[in-house]
Amino acid sequence: MLALIEIRRRKLQFGFVTGVVLLIAYLIMMVTGLGLGLNQQAGTALLNLNGDHLAYASNANLSVIRSRLADSDVSEIRSIPEVERATPLGYVAVVIEYAPETSDTAAILGVIPGSFAEPEVIEGRSIAGPNEILIDRTWTRLAGAGVGDSLALPVAFDTRTFTVVGIVDQGYFFFQPAMYVDLSAWQAIVFQGEGAQQPAASVVLLQGQQLAGRSGAGWQIVTKQDGFENIEGVRAQQSTVDALRYMGLLIGAMVIGVFFYVITLQKTALLGILKAIGASGVYLVTQGLLQVLVVSVAGAGLAVGLALLTEATVLSSDSIPIRFTWGAIATAAISVVVAGLVGVALSARQVTSIDPIIAMQQQ
Amino acid sequence: MTILQLHDVAKSFGEGSQRVDAVRGVTFAVGRGEVVALAGPSGSGKSTLLALAGALLSPTSGAITVDGKDITRYGARARTRYRRDRVGFVFQGSNMVPFLTARENLLLVGEFGGIDRSALRRRADELLEKLDLAGVRDQIATRLSGGERQRVAIARALMRDPALLLVDEPTASLNLELGIRVVDALVNEVHVRNKACIMVTHDDRMARRADRLVEIRDGQVLAG
Repeated sequence: MLALIEIRRRKLQFGFVTGVVLLIAYLIMMVTGLGLGLNQQAGTALLNLNGDHLAYASNANLSVIRSRLADSDVSEIRSIPEVERATPLGYVAVVIEYAPETSDTAAILGVIPGSFAEPEVIEGRSIAGPNEILIDRTWTRLAGAGVGDSLALPVAFDTRTFTVVGIVDQGYFFFQPAMYVDLSAWQAIVFQGEGAQQPAASVVLLQGQQLAGRSGAGWQIVTKQDGFENIEGVRAQQSTVDALRYMGLLIGAMVIGVFFYVITLQKTALLGILKAIGASGVYLVTQGLLQVLVVSVAGAGLAVGLALLTEATVLSSDSIPIRFTWGAIATAAISVVVAGLVGVALSARQVTSIDPIIAMQQQ
Repeated sequence: MTILQLHDVAKSFGEGSQRVDAVRGVTFAVGRGEVVALAGPSGSGKSTLLALAGALLSPTSGAITVDGKDITRYGARARTRYRRDRVGFVFQGSNMVPFLTARENLLLVGEFGGIDRSALRRRADELLEKLDLAGVRDQIATRLSGGERQRVAIARALMRDPALLLVDEPTASLNLELGIRVVDALVNEVHVRNKACIMVTHDDRMARRADRLVEIRDGQVLAG
């Protein structure tokens, strides 16, 4: 196979070409990975909740921050026939000083212990009392806290010490590590003074069919995905990230396509010789496609390895969130390979119409 | 028996005041087992005539028949097949594929299909031996000397056992002794295998080794 022999004999030249493909594929994958990472930080804890729907206060505009439901709302929601299971869920952001003069924000989620809103514990045990807390493993990385440590949380106008009894792997809620406390503890944290109406929950997590769109006097139900997309800033952030991703894909694909188009046309003299001694246009285009397939698959494959290595090592921190899905990686890799093949296919017409006499004079 | 017949062939390039008549009303034939030396000064139309016979160019007018078939009527695909199966080219520049070895340049013609690969390998080794190239068979083309490259080009042209050999200045980069050996090998191959050959040359000593001399000047055949 002429195409493969050329790759073998011109290792340096094809090494550079593979390097260019690798860098472009890696760039596309990194933009995709950063987008997915950012998306994950927006609210994986919400997406990981063991329910299909969420009920919000109708005046909250689907914002968990603003949503406050009363006991009567929670009871009314529970009584909907299509609701199979329902459990109240509280949310509040708090600043935790985890070392002298060092603090960070966490998302405190109030759950009823033992309810289906309580996440799976990966280390330690579940909460069993109002002064116990589950922390996400991202917080343990950030603050170095572990099971048995204490955390001081602002409760009403004071602080209360919570004991870490378990570690969970739920990720982020509003870009903050998720922590889980007893619902009564959450109510204490959001206490606004005597006389103020105490909320029963921020939202109600629901399991059931065909609940989206249901509403009552003070509440409305949407799917969990809708709830996620309505987290403040998520939609705009996602649009920006998607735009970056698709632009990256498009520009990367075009650069690779044009790159291979130019490389093919630079071989006009050689292609002319081959045509003169009997090579058909189909043979020449096939050899070009084979060469690009080998080079672009190698480049894309190396880029996948490099991207996964990047995710696993240097950049996989909470400050630079990178996450990959096999779907996203496959999309980027396949786009690069297809773009290369399209580049050669675009030059097919020029290749098949090469005049051997003119081409050989260029040698 | 005639293999190649050119009848009143003309080829012009450009139009209007830019028009150049490279070949004008050329008629001649080349028979089986015959080597025709095509001689003439630079720009006389020799290489154009060779390109026309090899279907690398189409004539402006006239007919070119090979084994009785008019190749000027061929479409692109048929011309490719004709070049692949019926013609062996040796170009003025050796036109090797630079990243292949001498032997691989010969075997390359098998890539285009229509031939038994094992027979091709035997033929490649036989031709490399015959043209004194056995010692450089695994050398990359760019590392061969000009003379070696030219002989490899001749060997490549003979690989598919074509009916017609079209050879453009085969000894241009060879010394006299080697040039004579190369031309003799070429002439011998044509005679033994009963092929037809047109050999463009400036060198009278080489032209004399052909069976017949056709002189061309200003695109017209003077004698032959």
